[in-house]
Amino acid sequence: MLNGPFTWYTLSDTFDDFKKGLKLAQNCGAKSLMVLTCTQNTYPEQAFNGLLKTCSLPVFGGIYPRLTHQDTLIEQGALIIGFKEEYQVSVFPDLHLCKSEEALEGLINLELEKNKNFGAQENFLMFYDGLMANVEDFIDCLFECLDHNITIAGGGAGYLDFIQRPCIFTNNGLQSNAVLLVTLPRKITTSIAHGWQIFKGPFLVSEVQDQTIQSLNYQPAFDVYSQAIESASDYKFQTDNFFNIAKNYPLGIEDINNNLIVRDPLLSINGQLQCAGKIPINSMVYLLESNINNLVNAAEEAAISLFSRLTSSTEQTAMVFDCISRVLYMEGEFDKELQVINKHRTSVTLFGVLSIGEIANSDSGVIRLFNKSTVISAW
Amino acid sequence: MAIGNKLDLKTMLKVFLKVCFNRLDLMSTHIYMYCDHKGIPIKLAPLESAHYQSFLSIPKKNQREPWTKSTMLSNFVERLNKAQKNISLEYQPGKYLFGYIIPDHGLLVFETHYALNAEVQKALSSILKKLAISCYTSLVHDSLVKEVRSRQLIEKKVAFQAQHDGLTGLFNRQHMNKLLAEAIQNAQINKKIGGILFIDLNRFKPINDAMGHSVGDQILLTLANRLYSLSNEHIDVARFGGDEFVILLKDLNSNYQETITQAITEVNQLLAIPFIIKNHSYKLSCSIGYALFPLQSNTANNLIKFADIAMYEAKREKSRQGKQYTSSMSDKIKRRLAYVDDMKLGLANGDFKLFYQPQYNHNDEIIGAEALLRWHHPIYGTESPAVYIPIAEESDLILDIGQWVLEQACRDIHKIEKLQLPKTFKKVSINVSAKQLIQYDFQDKVMRAIKENNISAERLALELTENLLVENIEDSIQLIASLKANAIDCSIDDFGTGYSSLTYLKRIPASLLKIDRSFVAKIEKSDESSAIARMIISLGKALNMDILAEGVETIEELNCLKKLGCYQYQGYYFSKPLPFNEFVKLFN
Repeated sequence: MLNGPFTWYTLSDTFDDFKKGLKLAQNCGAKSLMVLTCTQNTYPEQAFNGLLKTCSLPVFGGIYPRLTHQDTLIEQGALIIGFKEEYQVSVFPDLHLCKSEEALEGLINLELEKNKNFGAQENFLMFYDGLMANVEDFIDCLFECLDHNITIAGGGAGYLDFIQRPCIFTNNGLQSNAVLLVTLPRKITTSIAHGWQIFKGPFLVSEVQDQTIQSLNYQPAFDVYSQAIESASDYKFQTDNFFNIAKNYPLGIEDINNNLIVRDPLLSINGQLQCAGKIPINSMVYLLESNINNLVNAAEEAAISLFSRLTSSTEQTAMVFDCISRVLYMEGEFDKELQVINKHRTSVTLFGVLSIGEIANSDSGVIRLFNKSTVISAW
Repeated sequence: MAIGNKLDLKTMLKVFLKVCFNRLDLMSTHIYMYCDHKGIPIKLAPLESAHYQSFLSIPKKNQREPWTKSTMLSNFVERLNKAQKNISLEYQPGKYLFGYIIPDHGLLVFETHYALNAEVQKALSSILKKLAISCYTSLVHDSLVKEVRSRQLIEKKVAFQAQHDGLTGLFNRQHMNKLLAEAIQNAQINKKIGGILFIDLNRFKPINDAMGHSVGDQILLTLANRLYSLSNEHIDVARFGGDEFVILLKDLNSNYQETITQAITEVNQLLAIPFIIKNHSYKLSCSIGYALFPLQSNTANNLIKFADIAMYEAKREKSRQGKQYTSSMSDKIKRRLAYVDDMKLGLANGDFKLFYQPQYNHNDEIIGAEALLRWHHPIYGTESPAVYIPIAEESDLILDIGQWVLEQACRDIHKIEKLQLPKTFKKVSINVSAKQLIQYDFQDKVMRAIKENNISAERLALELTENLLVENIEDSIQLIASLKANAIDCSIDDFGTGYSSLTYLKRIPASLLKIDRSFVAKIEKSDESSAIARMIISLGKALNMDILAEGVETIEELNCLKKLGCYQYQGYYFSKPLPFNEFVKLFN
């Protein structure tokens, strides 16, 4: 009988080591397993699928660019958490086939109906394919269709080369274009931080198509963006250095309460900026900047805020969904962020993933997609 | 704040609410629209009021209930509608409702976790004016879309009706003509062959008459569905009218005869399945004629006409295999039409005469006569009634001929009545055709002829064949009874050759049964004929009808009939049919 969560991790990228870990986890008395692996691993897909399908316990998780365990960054290897409770997992597969809001709503309502609208459950983790195009439509629709407020934390899985591959773990094997909603047995508490500040702006988003800003202030978006950076820094945009510069200058959408929702520009194509999340038309966006200290401080504040709110000793598990771009930005100093979070830890376990997009509730309760942010959760 | 450029009202408002959600960090948001009595959103006219309805909420539910069940929200909206100006409520510490008027269209509510500042609220008022314009645009658009859709539906319906038969949903005559014309053209271009099958149900009319049109329609509908199962890209099926159907076979190759034979077999198989309507089972058959294109014609009208002609030929021959049109069929029809014209002329020129064949009793006393029509064709001489009566029956000329027979017989009876008639002489009978019998004023015509010629009604009798009676059994019973009440007797002619069913015979108030000549010929030598005659005689006695044997030609036949108990006769043994002048000499 487990007292707390079973935790096993390896820095080895071999499939044999993973199998050993999974066997241990299955035999530890756990009733459900969270499995997280690194994109660096070279697990044979067919054999891995076989393992998932034959796993006797409910299994959920995904393949992420990096993993974390307490203050350790795991660049290759795997992490398995065994829970003494049986977590209920709802799978929303093949979301790329839902081309309209109605189709998405139909799929979500079907699953909600099957699960009786999740009953009284209000606490969830969300694992999803970070490279699927309609995750924001999904969370908007989920929020609209649920008949009660929920608290949620999650992060997008997938590969940093932005080539979409199956990356979500289910008992039916690896899946792409899928979302997993995992019902937690206890109340989840979350804290969000990013540490980015306004550097320039505002700019009017005059033309936009979902995640692609076509024009800012009625001019080609890339022109406005690059001129603003080049005029205030030594950076010069070349044909091949967009991401290296852009990772330092994300965009921020300011809401009415002066909260900034960060949007990470990923690519520049034909004078347009493709971001990791939607930007509403006619919204005002700012160019943001930061430094390692600010980012680390923000993460620490989030950790303090979260762990100080945990009063119950039953909350033994803490999980971090930290944006992979923070690692890319901080590079070797990212360990500091892990250390400050771990420093304030009051839970038995602390682990996490470096994700492509983060999910959490806004202050109003709406489910939101964040970029370049840290979502710390505990339950 | 973007309102978006969507034209559908709900979509437009949803885009607006989503933008509000993101920009104002809302907890929930709701739109209520003023609606007409059907619940359709409207624009209020100045000083007009209307009830409002919940139109859109994000999220859709609250605490597992629809928002409409939230008393707090309902009360707030009611207060907002009454106030017709922006209001707010801090319903619990740090949680607010803000209400706004969408001018002339509805109400907007935001639920927030902070107090919206005055500047934002002020900015909202101009946005809401724009939203009202967008609402109006969407309403106009919605009504236009509805109108266009209903027009499209009507156009579709009209187009469908223009091409399809109202009862069966199959293609109609007009559309089939068009399809046929196209098929002919394609056949010519692609060097293919096509066929047009004309199908007519046999004896459908009696079912329709006896069981009513609803049953008839059900049968046609069932058959239409069965025939439709044959249709594919090479086969079209149409209802041509009444109980006529047409099948168009396209793109046939050199083995076209085989394909057509196969199609005819399939049609017959479909008809062989009983039609179960209202717990009754009906069995039907059909006659099929067909013509080929472009081999036999390259015009739609001709092909349909040819297939129709071939169908009639098949019907006449009682063929179930279908008949292909041949030019000789048209020639035959032309000849028949010419023959009908000759008959019309003959009737006008007085070429038709009534001959009378006397009838006798066993004491050799004259008891009556049957009036028989004779036609002396100016070229062909005396024509056989077996030839011209069926042709006259096919056209309506039989009605003119029948009327002439009735009137001439009455004129002759009038002359006879002036003579010294033997007491045994009672009646002159005339033959009545099916078409005459179904005339609504047939009895009136009979009574008028009697009256106009000032003769006793009991001198006239009508002869009806049993087949004719059975086809219109209920009407026939009524008519015969009514004629009998007016002293006009009816006899059943050619008895024994048709249904000869006791069940209907006992219901027909006829006075005389005439044994058909086929049973009388050489009756003394045929056990079968004498057995049938005996049966008819005992049947007549049982039903209190007189029995008369037709076609008595020899003394042997007469003696045999006497032995069997038949005491009234007609035939060459006694007298051949005589011209009126010679017939009246019998009374001298």
